Order: sequence, then C-alpha cells, then structure tokens
Amino acid sequence: MTSFHRPLPGEASHPPSIPPGDHPPVEPSQVSHASIMKSLVRTSLVSAFVGVLSVVASAKDVLVTTDWAAQNANHPSVRILEVSVDPGLYEKGHIPGALNVSWHNDLVDTVRRDIVSKDEFEALASRLGIKPDTTVVLYGDNNNWFAAWGAWIFNVYGHGDVRLIDGGRKKWEAEKRSFDTIPRAVNPTRYKVAKVNPDLRARLADVVAVAEGRSDARLLDIRSPDEYNGKLFAPANSKELSIRAGHVPGAVNVPWVKAVNEDGTFKSKEELRKLYAEAGVDGSTTTIAYCRIGERSSHSWFALSQILGYPARQYDGSWTEYGNAVGVPINNPSGTVWNGK
Amino acid sequence: MPFAGRLLAFLLLAALVVAAWHLHGSVFYGRVSSWVLLSGAVFGFVLQRSRFCFYCGLREFIEERDARPVLGLLAALAVGTIGYAVVLGAWVPFPEAGQYPPRAHVGPAGWHLLVGGLAFGAGMAFSGSCLSAHFYRLGEGSLLAPVALAGAAGGFILGFNAWEFFYLRALTEAPVLWLPKHLGYAGALVLQFLAVAALAFWVWRRGAVQPPRPAVGRSLRGIARAVLVERWPHWVGGVAVGLLATATYLRSMPLGVTSELGRLARKFGGQAGVVPANLPGLDEFPGCGTAYMTEVLFTPNALFVIGLVVAALAGGLAAGQFQPERPTWPRLGLALLGGVLLGFGSMISLGCSIGTLLSGIQAFAVSGWIFAVALVAGVYGGLRIRRALGQ
Repeated sequence: MTSFHRPLPGEASHPPSIPPGDHPPVEPSQVSHASIMKSLVRTSLVSAFVGVLSVVASAKDVLVTTDWAAQNANHPSVRILEVSVDPGLYEKGHIPGALNVSWHNDLVDTVRRDIVSKDEFEALASRLGIKPDTTVVLYGDNNNWFAAWGAWIFNVYGHGDVRLIDGGRKKWEAEKRSFDTIPRAVNPTRYKVAKVNPDLRARLADVVAVAEGRSDARLLDIRSPDEYNGKLFAPANSKELSIRAGHVPGAVNVPWVKAVNEDGTFKSKEELRKLYAEAGVDGSTTTIAYCRIGERSSHSWFALSQILGYPARQYDGSWTEYGNAVGVPINNPSGTVWNGK
Repeated sequence: MPFAGRLLAFLLLAALVVAAWHLHGSVFYGRVSSWVLLSGAVFGFVLQRSRFCFYCGLREFIEERDARPVLGLLAALAVGTIGYAVVLGAWVPFPEAGQYPPRAHVGPAGWHLLVGGLAFGAGMAFSGSCLSAHFYRLGEGSLLAPVALAGAAGGFILGFNAWEFFYLRALTEAPVLWLPKHLGYAGALVLQFLAVAALAFWVWRRGAVQPPRPAVGRSLRGIARAVLVERWPHWVGGVAVGLLATATYLRSMPLGVTSELGRLARKFGGQAGVVPANLPGLDEFPGCGTAYMTEVLFTPNALFVIGLVVAALAGGLAAGQFQPERPTWPRLGLALLGGVLLGFGSMISLGCSIGTLLSGIQAFAVSGWIFAVALVAGVYGGLRIRRALGQ
C-alpha cells in the first residue's frame, strides 16, 4: 500500500516535526548570512545543553507527548500502535495514523500461556511495516497498561526505539483531540528479531528463588494494598483469579497508581526515584515487578526500566500463576481463606 | 450497434471488477486502493447517468430556466452535509477545541478563492464543463474533453508559478473558518441547511415549470431503460453523489478529481523546468494535494479518476451515448482556454467544483462557500462572454 506523506489538517500549518536524529534540509535560497550565524550559535548552544542533559538523563527518549504523536504519526519512520484491551475501541476511533494491535491475539501466545513467540512477533512487526530503526510508539486504554505490555514485548525482542504516549488514550480524549477510523496504510516489511532479551523477563522459578532467599533480586508487587494484604483475591469483576491471596514473601508494595499523575502521565524521574527508594527499590539489584496478569506490572516495569534505567524484569505470570502454583511460599497477612465463592 | 455497445460496456465493468480484485490482493495497493477504484467507478457512472455537473446545471438554469439540475446539485450538498456531520461527530467530538477534521477540505477562507472561483467558473463556461464532467465526457467520446484537460494541465503549471504570490498574500493572511468550531454541529447544520434550502427555494421559484418526466415503463425493459439509457432524475443523482461523498470521506478521502492531474503537471512541469521547485507551504493545506510521493504507478486519485472514466464510458456505451462529434475550431480554442482557466483556478483553490466546492461545503468549510459564490459569478460572466462571441 502506498505511504502517503501528507500532514493532516489540524496539525497547525507547520510541517511535521521529525524525530530527533533527522533534520529537514534547508533551502539555500531561504538562508542569509546573518541567519546562518544565528542558527549556528543556536545549534551549538542547544547541542551543548543536550549533551550535558544526556549525560544526566536516560540514554533514550521513552515517552512522547500527545502533541508529538499528533505531529509525527504519519512520519515514515514512526509507527503509532494502539493496544487497547476493550474491544472495538480502536475501530470506533483512534489517534489519526495509528495502527491496531490486539493484546489477546498479537502480544500473547493464544495456545499456551506465554508471551507471543518470536516468529509471531516477527510476523506482527512485518505486518505493521516496522523496520529495525523504526520509532515504535504505543498507547492504549486502561492507563496504557496493555500498551506498556506491548512496549515490554518490543524490548524483549530487542527493538531499539520503543516509546509510550504519556497519558495514553485518556489524555488524548481529555485534550479534546480528533480521532480517525481509517487505519494507516503501511507497506509490510520483513522484520527479523536481531536479539532476544530474556533477562527482561522473570519466570516462576526466579520468583520462588527470591521468596526462598536464594536470590538477591527485589520483588515489587504493584497491586493495590488490599490485594497485597490478601484481603482481596482480585479486583472486582476480574475474570482471571487465583485461589490463594496475599503476596510473594519478601515483596514490597508500591501500587502502580503511585507512579502516575492525575491525568495518567508518569511522574517525573526524580519523583519516581524517590517513590521507589522509599520502598527499598533503588536499582542496586534487579527488581522483579508483578501484579495479577502482568499488565499493570508492565506499566511499573516501564517506569523502572525505561524511565529510571534500573535493571528490572517483568514477571508476566504474576499472581495468577504464583497464587495458583502448588507448593510455593506465600505471605497472607490478612489470613483470608479461599472458600470457592 | 447497440448490442456491441452494451457488450463493450459489460466487458469494461468486468475489467473494473477484476482490476479491483487484483488491487485488493496486491501487496503494494491493498483494500483501500480497490475501494477507491470502485468508488470512482460508482461516481463516474452516477455522473454520466444523471449528468451531474456544476456547469451544466448552472447553465441550464441561467439560459433555459430549468431549475432541476441545480436542485440536484443542492441535494448533493444537503445530503453530504448530513453525512459529513455524522462522521465528523465521531471523529471530532469537540469541534470547539480547535482541531480540524482529518483529511477534510477545510482551508483558509481567503481572497485567493475569489480569484480561483472566478477563473474556474469562466473556465467551465468556455470549455463547456467542470473538470469532473470533462472526465466523464471522456467516457462519452467527447473530443473537447481531452483538449480541455490538456489545457488544465497547462493551467496547473500557470497556477504553480503564481502560487507563491497567493500563498503569501492570501492563504497565510486568511483564517480557517470551520462552522462547527464556532457554532457547534447543531448550529452549523441548521445554518448550512437553511442556506441550502433558501437557495433551493429561490432557484425553484425562478425556474420555469418544466414538463413532467415520462413515466417509467412498467416492465423490466422499462426499468432498464430508465436506469441505463434515460437521464436520471436530478435529485437521484444529487442524493447519490451526497451519499457517495460521505462514504468516500469515511473510507478514504473526500471526493476530488484534480489531485492526480495536478500531481502530474507538477512532476513533469518540474522536470521540464517550468514549475518552480520551491512551492512554499503548498503541501500543508488540505485539499486536492499534488505532492504524493509514491513508489507505485497509480496514486489513489489516479485510481479514482480511472474508475470514473471507465465507468462513465461503460455507462455511455450502454446508453448509446458514446457519440464523438467533430468540434469546430473556435470551440476547440475555447475549450483549451477554458481548460487553462480550470487548471489555474483549481490549483489556486486547492481543488475544483468537486474538491473545494462540494467537499468543502459538505465539511462545513466557509472556504467552500466563498469558492462557490465566485464560481457562480465566473460562470455567469463567462457565459455572457461566450455568447457574445457567438459560441
């Protein structure tokens, strides 16, 4: 399908801005000596500033604003992907230029409980027209939980530039921005996974090792305090349940909601660092994040791993695996007993 | 002869279907391309069967006091307005927030539209049709249409050369006026509806009473005749165009026929050195854009126009209306001149009677209305000049 290089109306009458790293050519006729000098000075100042910043800040941009998404959605080296778990949301209206990814079908293995296989992931990325240097930007409903899962998967399979739209779908709606129902037309590619990163993923054995004191990784339970304490087996209306309540021994509790502001955007790097440090998570050892089915923990994993740059793993089995596993140690402070209701 | 015509028409339609099926499965084109080809075919067929054309309608009203074609045009505007309102309500839930709907032909309401509309209107009067009608007349064997279209390519080149002036003095100085932003959807719908209704009433009153249409023969043959041979009632064509306009906006792009023509003029004119390389700001404005970079042979608009021409040809053949006539030299000259004006007017206005007037007004753009007013004036003036020349 042909790619259309047309900015959408409504994105103001300036040309689409290009992700950092590319600069549009300047027409010689438009540039005079004075303006050359001015832009030279400006560029060197900005470069110096950015150079200083990048030493301090994380090595790559991992969050984009809704403005950036509006301007760059149709850029050839950008792919905006919606990962919304509510059915039909993308079809009803999505960010103009976005493509749809179905969490239930595209990001997990539909036969065995596992993340999507390498082959299926390559097929997905190829279908979406992604190349190794494509900037992949995800967003979705439900506070970007499932989009964060998508970001985690892209990182597991070694994609270089993966970002989230800060605030997700909710922020886009709150800013009264326009939607579109036409999917973006992209040419399929032949995407090959260069490098799998299994160290971003924790398995049951790794978590049991921590529970039994055989590993110095930190466990981070990002569910609500009532789930952590065992008062609730699962949030109301959850379909995926466990028959034991509580948390993994040794896990600390920092609910995911503490990592975001009111409007759904992530808190600043400093605030996040402080938040997790108070619970004893400071990046000195690997942190393993888990929740109920691994979607909320992807969100916190993103905060730890991508924003703060800590070594962090996501335990995708989460409580629905651990709380149903036979013979693993559990801490249930509230003492609730499963009674089959 | 009629049988040969109908057989050919059937083969052409079959070829269109095969082409659409092929596009659908193609890696480079895909579903949307197939849809675009087919919607172009539907458009061409509707245009040919109902003779839907802004120029023809206006001329018939001005010179023959027949209000019905213009009422058909207004019906298209009315139906499309409702359809667009439904789609826009989903895509831009908060019109007051300052975002414009994706791909809609909502542009700056500037005086360039007066120039473009006047030129386009006069061009229609001289060449005998608007651009979309020239495309469908290609399908009827019109020998004026190719001349007018060639002239239009030249007019586009002229327009590209004048572009920077209009960009700096008109487009960048003018606000984008989108009615729902200021009035909400309800207010915009009511206002636009009242305007269209008022125009319709005035036109209807000024028109002479026309003899009633012959009744449709009460047989399959009679129905086939009514659909395939006789001119459709004007309101049918208008409603069909309005519905199609909504469907194409929802599924691909607003209706428009000048993108590909302009793109080719820009590309080959650029290579020949007659089109400036620097066209500031041109590709930022919505409308029938001319800047598609494409790795494949046929852009979406090219497919749309091909579908239009082929289906119009099929319609004309089936109806026995494929009748090339040998035009006189003065008419050819006027067609060429008219074509140049059509191309120039379209370029400056970023669209034509379909792209800027129809698709603009349906999208509640004030730019569409400004273009419409100038277009009508251009037709009126152009007709006077042309009749004075004895043509």
